[in-house]
Amino acid sequence: MMETKKEVRYFTIFNHEDEQEYLRQNHMAGWKFVKVTGLGMYHFEKCEPEDVVYQLDYNKEGLSQKTEYVQMFSDCGWEYIQDFFGYSYFRKSAKMMDGEEGIFNDDSSKMAMMERVYKGRLIPLLITFCLLLIPQTIRTLLEGQYVLAVFMGSASIVYIVFFIYCAIHYNRKKR
Amino acid sequence: MDAHTRKVYVPMTETGFYILYCLQEPNHGYGIVQMVDKLTDGEIRLAPGTMYGSLSKMEKDGLIRFVKEEDKRKIYVITGLGIEVLELELKRIKRLYKTVQGEK
Repeated sequence: MMETKKEVRYFTIFNHEDEQEYLRQNHMAGWKFVKVTGLGMYHFEKCEPEDVVYQLDYNKEGLSQKTEYVQMFSDCGWEYIQDFFGYSYFRKSAKMMDGEEGIFNDDSSKMAMMERVYKGRLIPLLITFCLLLIPQTIRTLLEGQYVLAVFMGSASIVYIVFFIYCAIHYNRKKR
Repeated sequence: MDAHTRKVYVPMTETGFYILYCLQEPNHGYGIVQMVDKLTDGEIRLAPGTMYGSLSKMEKDGLIRFVKEEDKRKIYVITGLGIEVLELELKRIKRLYKTVQGEK
């Protein structure tokens, strides 16, 4: 029976670099990444410790034409592992590399990926926020349902804090 | 050439330039990676995430077009607009080079 382990980790949508590092460190410690499920349950199996670089891409168009998309990565030596909430997971052994290598070779394409994440993940949230949460909060206030209004108001504040956090993060990355 | 194309592609990234340059002959993404590796003696290694993103963006912007699929690989070729952009970029690089030469 293969020895396995599971760990729960949560990475925000802008922390995919930390996630890549987390998977690499695990592989280096002899835990090969198998899959991620649910809301962030990471499955590993015991392996020989090895330096393997993990990379995440976010490309909806790629997912809609997956065969060609995965082919391009495998041509370049990257093993495709899985998709998870729009992210695709790839890995490549450092032994196969001539120096440090990633799935992006310049900053502008890294930035383009961040923009795709932004558009794909954040804008839907923002729309939900503007169309649902704010009108609902106002409605509950007007109707005198104060308990509900406090709840909605708190949720709105959490949302606003989250958007500010994302905006700051995005701008820092851009620089 | 519209303002968008000019703004996004002039000047363009080294990756973008090599993609357009290589696609003067029909080729697929990995073919371009190999060609650029050879052309630059391994100095520029295009990575698949960058490659995939650039090809789909350039196709959307009409600089290249899809020709056919072969062995699960999409083959593209440069368009008239792509050639225009490539020439504009070449002119810019030549001017830079000339300026530097003049300094000597």
